[in-house]
Amino acid sequence: MHSLIQLSIVVLLLPLLSFVILIFFNRRLPRRGDFIGVGILGTAFAISAYIFWSVIVQTYDPAFRVAWDFTWIDLGKVPGIGPLQIKMGIVIDNLTAIMLAMVTLISLLVHLYSTGYMAGDKNYGRYFAFLGIFTFSMLGIVLSDNLFSIYIFWELVGLSSYLLIGFFFEKDSAADAQKKAFLANRVGDIGMWLGILILYSQFHTFSFEQIYANLAAGKFAMSNAWLTAAGLLLFMGCVGKSAQFPLHIWLPDAMEGPTPVSALIHAATMVAAGVYFVARIFVLLTPDALHVIAFIGAFTAFMAATIAITQNDIKRVLAYSTVSQLGYMVLGLGVGAYSAALFHLVTHAFFKACLFLGSGAIIHAMHHEQDMRWMGGLRKHMPWTFATFTLATLALAGLPLTSGFMSKDAILAGAIGFANVEGGGVYYLIPALGFFSAMLTAFYMGRQIWLVFFGESRTHLKPADNHHHGHDAHSAHGAHDDHHGAHEVHEVSWNMRAPLVILAVLSVFIVYSPNPLDGAEGWFMKMIRTPATVVGPANHNCAALPAQTTSPLMAEALPAVETHVATDAHAVSEVEHAAAKGEHAFADPRQAEIAHAAHAAHFPAIYISSIMVVLGISFAGIVFVFRIIDPDKTAEAIRPLYLFSLNKWYWDEIYQATFIKGSVLLSKILSWFDTNVIDGIVNGVAVLVRNLAFANNSFDKYVVDGLVNFTAFSVNTTGAVLRKLQTGKVQTYVALLLVVLFGYFVFYFTRLIY
Amino acid sequence: MLSLIVFLPILAGLVILAVPSSQKQIIRIVSLLAALAQGVLAVLIWRAYDPSLPGITASPGGSPLGSFQFVEKLPWISLKLGGFGSLNIEYFLGVDGISVTMVILTALVSAIGVLSSWTIQKQVKGYFILYNLLASAMMGCFVALDFFLFYVFWELMLLPMYFLIGIWGGPNREYAAIKFFLYTLFGSVFMLLVMIGLYFSVIDPVTGNHTFSLVAMANQANYIKSAILGPDNVMWRYVAFSVLFVGFAIKVPMFPFHTWLPDAHVEAPTPISVILAGVLLKLGTYGMMRINFPLFPEVFHASMYVIGIFGAINIIYGAFCALAQQDLKKMVAYSSISHMGYVLLGLAAGNSEGMVGALYQMFNHGTITAMLFLLVGVIYDRAHTRQIDKFGGLSSYMPVYAAIVTVAWFASLGLPGLSGFISEAFVFVGAFSSVTTRYIAMVSVLGIVFGAAYLLWSLQRMFLGKRKPDAAYDLEVGADGHEHIHFHDWKGKIDLDARELTMLVPLVVITIFLGIYPMPILGMITTSVNRLVEVLTPLAIR
Repeated sequence: MHSLIQLSIVVLLLPLLSFVILIFFNRRLPRRGDFIGVGILGTAFAISAYIFWSVIVQTYDPAFRVAWDFTWIDLGKVPGIGPLQIKMGIVIDNLTAIMLAMVTLISLLVHLYSTGYMAGDKNYGRYFAFLGIFTFSMLGIVLSDNLFSIYIFWELVGLSSYLLIGFFFEKDSAADAQKKAFLANRVGDIGMWLGILILYSQFHTFSFEQIYANLAAGKFAMSNAWLTAAGLLLFMGCVGKSAQFPLHIWLPDAMEGPTPVSALIHAATMVAAGVYFVARIFVLLTPDALHVIAFIGAFTAFMAATIAITQNDIKRVLAYSTVSQLGYMVLGLGVGAYSAALFHLVTHAFFKACLFLGSGAIIHAMHHEQDMRWMGGLRKHMPWTFATFTLATLALAGLPLTSGFMSKDAILAGAIGFANVEGGGVYYLIPALGFFSAMLTAFYMGRQIWLVFFGESRTHLKPADNHHHGHDAHSAHGAHDDHHGAHEVHEVSWNMRAPLVILAVLSVFIVYSPNPLDGAEGWFMKMIRTPATVVGPANHNCAALPAQTTSPLMAEALPAVETHVATDAHAVSEVEHAAAKGEHAFADPRQAEIAHAAHAAHFPAIYISSIMVVLGISFAGIVFVFRIIDPDKTAEAIRPLYLFSLNKWYWDEIYQATFIKGSVLLSKILSWFDTNVIDGIVNGVAVLVRNLAFANNSFDKYVVDGLVNFTAFSVNTTGAVLRKLQTGKVQTYVALLLVVLFGYFVFYFTRLIY
Repeated sequence: MLSLIVFLPILAGLVILAVPSSQKQIIRIVSLLAALAQGVLAVLIWRAYDPSLPGITASPGGSPLGSFQFVEKLPWISLKLGGFGSLNIEYFLGVDGISVTMVILTALVSAIGVLSSWTIQKQVKGYFILYNLLASAMMGCFVALDFFLFYVFWELMLLPMYFLIGIWGGPNREYAAIKFFLYTLFGSVFMLLVMIGLYFSVIDPVTGNHTFSLVAMANQANYIKSAILGPDNVMWRYVAFSVLFVGFAIKVPMFPFHTWLPDAHVEAPTPISVILAGVLLKLGTYGMMRINFPLFPEVFHASMYVIGIFGAINIIYGAFCALAQQDLKKMVAYSSISHMGYVLLGLAAGNSEGMVGALYQMFNHGTITAMLFLLVGVIYDRAHTRQIDKFGGLSSYMPVYAAIVTVAWFASLGLPGLSGFISEAFVFVGAFSSVTTRYIAMVSVLGIVFGAAYLLWSLQRMFLGKRKPDAAYDLEVGADGHEHIHFHDWKGKIDLDARELTMLVPLVVITIFLGIYPMPILGMITTSVNRLVEVLTPLAIR
């Protein structure tokens, strides 16, 4: 066993240990054992950091990979298949090493932060236990080398998010939200499970490596449509976990959980799991499947962004922005910008965690006020929070010099390149939606910053009846709710501040790449390469030349290609050129073409998105700072659109009216059917049999018994007649005998005569 | 060994007969000792069992007795019937991988049932005598290898069950008891006919006589070609398969023969519900695996699709009915129907993955559902109601109870890491891999979502949120300033007491352990299941 594997097993099991200790003994430990949670996660992070160091920094090999597995279930010699074993195992490659470090770091910071945020909660110890099992499940997903164990940890993440979202279970909204999250995830999970079943039914293995080897060898015996279906069904798991349309509805409601939990599961880990999983199965996605994925991602990014611009709850804005950013990642994977999508996954994890923790600090300081309309002017009171929050906002909006800028632009460049290669007009919708959403992102984040940190405090404006609107039901702080306005707002303590600073630092470009304009020059995108597909271009026509299209975006991109070639001015073949730039050379022409086109679209993407971001921020400034456009009047003017956005496109209402009401109605109908029809038939048969029995009884009584009685009666009567003959006198008998004899003779002689 | 494990409870019943009925504690302890001794024997059997021997029927070149273990074989009834030849019934016991897991499950659930019966106050002596009779009969069914003996044990189960529901049950107990009794009897009448038909169609390869031995019957070479159920008599073999199947399906219970189950559960006292769901239902699917399918493999092969559809109906229909229930126990009863559907689906797959999943699901459903019914009993004892809407917020006041409920509920909805998941997963893996049941499996996965829906919804309504205005309990502010829960006329501990924990904790531990490391059970069953799949696969495909 490789030493890194051993270490990773330790990392995996440490949070589980934390869970076990804290769930059973938290009440017997000082401080409810929070130091155990923090300490264990600290150790886990230290080990993960070491793994990261030795894999990424020391080895620095894009193809690095170590794996280990063991037989978990042995089914013996199965007829028709032969020996069959289900294995469990661990694989460590560059992606795993990065994810390990990221997950443990954010989990550690959330643990630390929670010691401040959750202090005084009556279930404080249990909270840390739940954080532990959550981290364990997430690490399990990251380390898995096969579909079966990834599915196991996938559902365990569902369980732990259920526990964490519903942590304030006495609140009905929290209990609703946890149920909704679990069920929405389960819907995604059954798709994923079916995808796993399709692959298993072909190869009788769950291992990624073996499945890919078999696929590459062309051993998939079902039709290509099944392969596309398998990819899309597996992607359904991501739709659930990463809150993509149409299963995005759970994530905003999940804000009912404690705010640090939102940072952990809705920014860095659980939602990232979906994207991570799609990256793991990336090589088996057919071009058709990738197209669907790209469109779903683009639509989700756009839809969530349009909702985020009108939300008033500080966490809801962040929640929809998370959905939107996850849409970007999924879009990135769909268009084949593999490393860009994963890059965005990591950068987003840090700056979004920073934003959530920052919003937690604000909520904490504001005594559980979450409505941005009643905030304002906080920059003076909370300078640390303000600084870090702003930095993370810039990263989210995608301003140059931030990490988010590099990763988002890499995705958008990929989208342009993809649209160019695919060559159809409709494919330009993907980059178009991406750029438009970038503008919206800048707008709603600008709005948030202005509303929360600038201007004057608006706490006193809050109407009294609006009082119980969605705040954390913090038992320890519940008592303060009644006089929130009277309290002075203070900066939060060090254990909540330190995580903010660390996360903000991780949102700066230099951590990832020396060139603030190009993430591809950084270690991340060099270490994470797009893997070569194993399904081939069989049903895809790559011959469509990009140059044949004449759409406007193309016109922009094409000169860029020329400039690019011209500046490099090397008469090298394309593959050599790519190799020289440290890029991957693809055996698959489609992938190679997209990668090349994406590279060419790098600068156009930067230009467009920068313009979009500036537009978005300045528009936010026009509306909320200079008040040239009054937001309320504008909302009134476009009221249907405003309501459409405010009510989240009415998805909740639609689902409520169709699936939920439908299921409940169907259950009532079937239950009625069960008691009245099925059981009715059973009881009917019973009644029928009973009536038959009664009829039978009557028959028995009058006919059968009647016959019996009649027989008895006739015997009796005959007996009575015959008894008269039984006189006991010899003379009578002799006379009778003579009569009989005489009769016999008469009979005999009559026979003789005739 | 097997005779001992079968007849120990009856022995205990005989001892109880001699105890005066006022000595309730002695009666209970005698029963508990018998159950524990049964448990010890089960553990011994588990340890001594050799998982490399397949059982099922004679292997090619092997002994005609098959490779069963712990075999006991004695002539029992031998009658000369003149022209009909002789009637030979044997006392023939033995286990293979299919039955040994069920023996362990039966011993476990019986022991927990005794503990759960501790609170029975009405006619304790009669109750425990019947209970022990039931325990013996169930165990006997799982180890009998002679069809006639199996039938005797099968019918023997009915009698105590009828009285246990009919005397110690709820308000509507007599209706439920008679429904259960008639339904099961209806199934077993046909079983009797098929049994006799089989007797005259099968020749024991050793003695040359007709035989009731299931081992001989499972080998198609032992059939007389032209006999009533011989290979030539295709139509009668289909008829026999179907009526046997209905007989076992009633026990499972399979849609549309399931309506006795919710009634029986709602009326039965907690320990009887535990036994009923934990063990009795498995007899239906066990009978299919032991008798119905291997005796008529070609008919099974032709019926896989139909069985699979019924499995899917059970899964989804049961889940929807559970979603609509207001009575918690009825919800759990319908969840049993849904979960037994997985067993049917796994069997219908006809491959090793599916059958292993089905058998493992039988074991896991036994432990998990036992847990569910015990937990329902806990709250019913305290609140005297099981209406889901009469609670709310229990998590705050009964944390240990809520924690175990959460584990049990999540086990039931098939959460990975708990044993139910592995069996359901294998059922789906098998059903999807089989071309026959592929599309059925694709529909059945909906059961995963709706299973989660009704369980989480009930969990929320009972345990989360706050006390409902019309709840079946009151809240009082105690001396420590915290709110405490108060049930009317409940004197015992509010949260789980020691006896309840003794019943539940082992089940929780088993559920978690077998969810993480299933090989202790799976290791015993795989060889036999692989052999069974071979027996079931027609030669043409094999």
